[in-house]
Amino acid sequence: MERRSLWAVGTREVVYMAIGAALYGVLSWIFNFLQIPGAANVAVRPPVVLPLFFGAVFGPWVGLFTGLVGNILGDLLSGYGFWIWWDIGNGLLGFFAAFALFSTKRNYALAELWAAIGIVIGMGLASLSEMWVSGATMQAVIIENFVPAAATDLVNGLILLPILLAAYMAVAGRTGR
Amino acid sequence: MLVTFKYLAKDTPIQRLDPRAKFIFLLCFLFSVTQFWDLRLLLIFFGIAMGYYALAQLPFRETRRAWFFMVFFAVVLVGINTLFVRGGRRFETEHILFRLPLLSLPLTAEGVVFSAGMIARMLSIAIIALTISFTTNPQLYGVAFRRLGLPDHFAFAIDLALRFVPTLARDFSLTLDAQRARGYEVERLRGGPIAQIRKLAPLIVPVTIGAIVGGEDVVNALDLRCFGVTKRTWLHELRYTCWDKAVITLSLAMLAASTAVNLLGYGDFWLPTWVAAL
Repeated sequence: MERRSLWAVGTREVVYMAIGAALYGVLSWIFNFLQIPGAANVAVRPPVVLPLFFGAVFGPWVGLFTGLVGNILGDLLSGYGFWIWWDIGNGLLGFFAAFALFSTKRNYALAELWAAIGIVIGMGLASLSEMWVSGATMQAVIIENFVPAAATDLVNGLILLPILLAAYMAVAGRTGR
Repeated sequence: MLVTFKYLAKDTPIQRLDPRAKFIFLLCFLFSVTQFWDLRLLLIFFGIAMGYYALAQLPFRETRRAWFFMVFFAVVLVGINTLFVRGGRRFETEHILFRLPLLSLPLTAEGVVFSAGMIARMLSIAIIALTISFTTNPQLYGVAFRRLGLPDHFAFAIDLALRFVPTLARDFSLTLDAQRARGYEVERLRGGPIAQIRKLAPLIVPVTIGAIVGGEDVVNALDLRCFGVTKRTWLHELRYTCWDKAVITLSLAMLAASTAVNLLGYGDFWLPTWVAAL
């Protein structure tokens, strides 16, 4: 596999930013809005695995873009407008997931660890911004915003991430990419 | 599966605004309204937001789901929280109106006014944000962010993402049908929460991996056309009209005035005397 700088943004990164963001937006809309029967009651945000996956495989800018723009696209499709602090929080999930350097180290445990760090930082900052915007207390944002958002993202993200990474490695190995 | 953006093409003053003017207004509004706790000032901002929304002439049938979400979030989550804990603020004297039965929680005049202010603040921000998604042509997001200073690569990625949305929605629909034909029952996922999430992999993995494999063709096509070698040109050109300039000037003036008022020590929590007298 071609060795590239972690921070490089070339044609490949641009295309995967776009694919990641579009996928995240579409799947967020499908899972949250259309609510697939049977999955809706437990699988709150399975698409959250996408910024984590795109970050881990294609680098921090792709992860950041996938989460940030994908969340905006999901909200645009649903007609919810812009909630910029939650968009940035979603972007940070993918950004930090990239530090596992999965495309070179191929270490699943490290990918899971950085994904968890990304979720805690991303959802933490987004939740804290509610103190500024809606005048809530630290205790309230932790209980009402951070815990539900981070817990569901951790469960969904950490279960689906290794499955997606394994599938990607199989395809990458077969095609030599 | 038909996926569409919520953009409504109409000829209204807000629709005619340049997307950059709308984004600048949103940011200035956000940073202005969050500087205040005074209900009177927050109601002025709420009035500005409602006026902006009225100018967009959005039909209620198109926006009612978003309204339900906004009102639920503002009233139930923000309103009830601030009603009882008042954003963690301590007031020297609190005027207890009555105590809730069973829980014995005091409902104070300060809590009611503070909560009303926070509901007004949240709704104001949400209304401005909601209006953008219904009044801005998605084809203009890429060029708008480019003209706002985002590098070409990132602005083009926004444009490209918007073009991928219908294709990927169709791919998801095809994958769902294909898995159902193989006996996958998305309606009846058995097991605990973790098992149910794992069972969603047959939907998410093929769509994602298929998109990545297909993306290599797009990478090659762009590379063959020397993408990124020189500065990009855009199909859509944006030009500010005098209305756009007026909106941007007013937005910046609103932010400057709000900051000045805040620095002068105004805009903190205000309790009407008649409420305290209750």
